Amino acid sequence: MLKVLDSAVPVACWSCSVAHNESILFCPHCSKIQPPPGGDYFSVFGLAPRLDLDLGMLEHEFHRLSRKLHPDRFARALPNEKDWSLADTALLNDAYRTLRDPIRRTGYLLKLQGAEMGEEHSGKDRKDPSRVPADLLEEVFELNMQLEEMRMARKMGQTDPDLQADLTAAKKKFDGLLDAVDQDLRGQWKVWDEGDEAARQSAQKTMVALLDRRRYLSNLVRDVTETLGA
Amino acid sequence: MAYSDKVIDHYNNPRNVGQLDKGSAEVGTGLVGAPECGDVMRLQIRVNPETQVIEEAKFKTFGCGSAIASSSLATEWIKGRTVEDALAIKNTDIVKELSLPPVKIHCSVLAEDAIRAAIGDWKKKNGVAEAEPAAVTAQ
Repeated sequence: MLKVLDSAVPVACWSCSVAHNESILFCPHCSKIQPPPGGDYFSVFGLAPRLDLDLGMLEHEFHRLSRKLHPDRFARALPNEKDWSLADTALLNDAYRTLRDPIRRTGYLLKLQGAEMGEEHSGKDRKDPSRVPADLLEEVFELNMQLEEMRMARKMGQTDPDLQADLTAAKKKFDGLLDAVDQDLRGQWKVWDEGDEAARQSAQKTMVALLDRRRYLSNLVRDVTETLGA
Repeated sequence: MAYSDKVIDHYNNPRNVGQLDKGSAEVGTGLVGAPECGDVMRLQIRVNPETQVIEEAKFKTFGCGSAIASSSLATEWIKGRTVEDALAIKNTDIVKELSLPPVKIHCSVLAEDAIRAAIGDWKKKNGVAEAEPAAVTAQ
């Protein structure tokens, strides 16, 4: 599903036949709408893949393109153009939803890079049982045990104020751990955006590990929040 | 997605939930995780040192229904087997028994990993015990 943008391959506009970069929604020459381009989500916004995005600009571009693509504008257009306005709008929405969320954006970019790294890497990754470090597993298991104990006590109808305090403290702790991961991620964004190939490779590895950790922690936050709300 | 009846049965009545003494030389502990979904699974075995038969198996899994069912089934299957026999269990056997859909196959992989990790831990401990029998009797 993920295609890597190959901007070296120009595509001829269906209307004016002038060649243009395939990732463009409208022909730069005749301004006609183009079929959904095959590039990545970044290219929909005319961006190269990067992690530290100007969200204000992204939103502004999203609104501008949404208006330009709006199906109402194609009421009297050719049937193909009508179809493309819908398909391009769907693509634009997917791209915006993915890129505006920092975690989804990071995961998306890592997948894009993974696709580029080829089979050797993904094959090795799948077979690697030590992808989750042992100390993280120990920590997560222990946190889950503590949380379960508190949940059981609550289920038994204990209205111990200490229990409520424990749960609130646990939530605060998990939230803090999650924040720490997000800060680390932001640090790696900078490394990836500004670094050379070697720096990028190492940042990618670090970010994959951080996202793994984040998934465990966000499950804990979800569970403790549920318990507090129940 | 609907769970199969067998998954629901194991989920509602998980077999062999619990904990064995991690410090015992007869106990092997495997702690594994699936980063894709944030599941974490602990599987423990107690092996008879004379017969190499797994006499007791316990698990504790934090995760989805399929992960719980996979580990519950794994403990049922390895109990009464020798260590070498237990290593013959493949994740595909678990998939078949529980009718896991493709998106839940990683849960069965996790259970197989957990069996291997527990046996690996026991073997490591056992290797040490064989080299220094005095240390074992001292416990």
